[in-house]
Amino acid sequence: MSLIEIKDLKVHYPIRSGFWNRITDSVRAVDGVSFNIEAGETYGLVGESGSGKSTTGKSVVGLEKVTSGSIMYKGLDITKAENRRKLDYNHDVQMIFQDSLSSLNPRKRIEDIIAEPLRNFEHLSKDDEKLRVLQLLNIVGLDADALYKYPHQFSGGQRQRIGVARAVATNPKLIIADEPVSALDLSVQAQVLNFMKKIQREFGISYLFISHDLGVVRHMCNNIAIMNRGRLVEIGTRDDIYNHPLHIYTKRLLAAIPETDVNSREAHRASRLAVEQVYQDQQSKYYDDNGAAYPLVQVTPTHAVALPQTIAQQLASQEGEVQA
Amino acid sequence: MAENFEQHSDISAADLARLTQEAQAEATPSTAKIIWSEFKADKPAMAALIIIVGFILFVMIGALFINTPKMMETNIMGYFNQPFTADFWLGADSAGRSVAKQLIVGSRNSIGIAIGLTVISSTFGICWGLISGYFNGYIDWGMQRIYDFMMMLPMTMMIIVLVTIIPHYNSVTLTFIFSIFYWEGTSRLIRSRTLAESEKDYVAASKASGTSHWKIIFREIMPNISSLIIVDCTLSFAENIGVETGLSYLGFGLPSQTPSLGTMIANANDPNNITQYWWTWLPAALEIIILCLSISYVGQVLRRAADSSQRQGSVN
Repeated sequence: MSLIEIKDLKVHYPIRSGFWNRITDSVRAVDGVSFNIEAGETYGLVGESGSGKSTTGKSVVGLEKVTSGSIMYKGLDITKAENRRKLDYNHDVQMIFQDSLSSLNPRKRIEDIIAEPLRNFEHLSKDDEKLRVLQLLNIVGLDADALYKYPHQFSGGQRQRIGVARAVATNPKLIIADEPVSALDLSVQAQVLNFMKKIQREFGISYLFISHDLGVVRHMCNNIAIMNRGRLVEIGTRDDIYNHPLHIYTKRLLAAIPETDVNSREAHRASRLAVEQVYQDQQSKYYDDNGAAYPLVQVTPTHAVALPQTIAQQLASQEGEVQA
Repeated sequence: MAENFEQHSDISAADLARLTQEAQAEATPSTAKIIWSEFKADKPAMAALIIIVGFILFVMIGALFINTPKMMETNIMGYFNQPFTADFWLGADSAGRSVAKQLIVGSRNSIGIAIGLTVISSTFGICWGLISGYFNGYIDWGMQRIYDFMMMLPMTMMIIVLVTIIPHYNSVTLTFIFSIFYWEGTSRLIRSRTLAESEKDYVAASKASGTSHWKIIFREIMPNISSLIIVDCTLSFAENIGVETGLSYLGFGLPSQTPSLGTMIANANDPNNITQYWWTWLPAALEIIILCLSISYVGQVLRRAADSSQRQGSVN
């Protein structure tokens, strides 16, 4: 059984308008998303901004009110607040935020920030609690001096590591990492990611890794879901997504990864333009009449794509020929 | 699970005392220390603080040694006695009552009302604004309609009516009557900041850490809008001295047998007093000006202490 099973998750925001301020329409931020996260794996959720990936992440932690669908954890649907309370859900599922500065309360000392989940869930004695905070700081590579300082006294990378320490504090089973490194520069990104990987190895934590940076996702994730306009357009292993992309949206994302090979700059440019051309010409083939993605169809046991069955088969066989 | 952490970190219980000490050496100074260093860096504010504290202590203690009913008795021999004499340091008013003693008791009454009013109305206003802003939705809607209704009532008129229909009132009941109306400005101000603050990620992080709503409101959001609260409280304290004074001046504040800064300033209603007998009203007017100025100086220092980018003190 999977750690978390997300079924047909929908988060819609009402749009009010008119004289009576009635609900006239809704923004379909997340519109029928289903996937499973296995224990101990890193699941990548990728998409452009506004595709609903952060909303999906927040729903999984329980910060977002879900319109319909279910998120099953230990056999209970945690979209209901009472089930979350019953399971002490946030003891097991924590979150790392994108903006390290605004996610740490500027008026609290680091000790209080990291100890917050411990105080709510574990009720340790004062000394044990302090010891745990010191150990956590040590694990993310910070000195004991940090204990009584305030968040603004740290650099971005250090703050994000404090955020990681807080998320790990209760030894959770799953951590939602909502673009944890996209606000950091590249050298610091690598540092934070390596700490996250080290923690995963040592504590056996699963990550739901939300990102728009396919390079980072490739480094971190075993299974990847591509999200577009509130729906999943492609699910697969790292190999499926990076080497056999089927959906045009996935191809566009991959084409957008910058290449450092200066000698074949022209060739890369041409291939990017070719992908864009296909997208412009064949949009109607890849999206339905309302501009939404099709339901997912299975191509191989690990690989699914949001296309009508016939087109999916056709593309898959084409892909096979190219490989051959 | 604790073993899990022991395993992957080379810190154990034995290091706790040493590391705590190390951390303490590097610790950021406490809020009280920061505020004190701000006062030390700003000499006028330090003087203002000494004036306020000294004056309040002086009138609170001094008033205990004055027999008010006896002091308020008419003494025909002291009719408009000149100031700076042995019996009457600041002269006497038309009933021959000592201005100096009235000033002490009157200040105690007025400042007491202002402090009480500020504490009650600000506490209520801050809670109202925080709760309304944090919960949003229907709760916010309901609370804001109550607010709108209260705002619609003409405040001064209502106070005057209440004061006339309540048979026996003193400074305590007067404080409560004022408090019914003076929480509104504070609550709107606090609500607007809370709306912005509760959208921030650290609130989401606290929710995800399982912290309860009340704890988030009063332990997470409130400290973050403390600079706003401090400024608002000091300003409303200065304003509240004026509230009682103004109403007493109009004759609807404290009963005439209870001296207050307002009843003393009301002496200036008489043109004779303004031109010839200046000592009947000038000391009270000066006192109000000095107090309000001092309070705003102190408020500025507190605001600077709450905002690290504006600090002038040496401790950072």
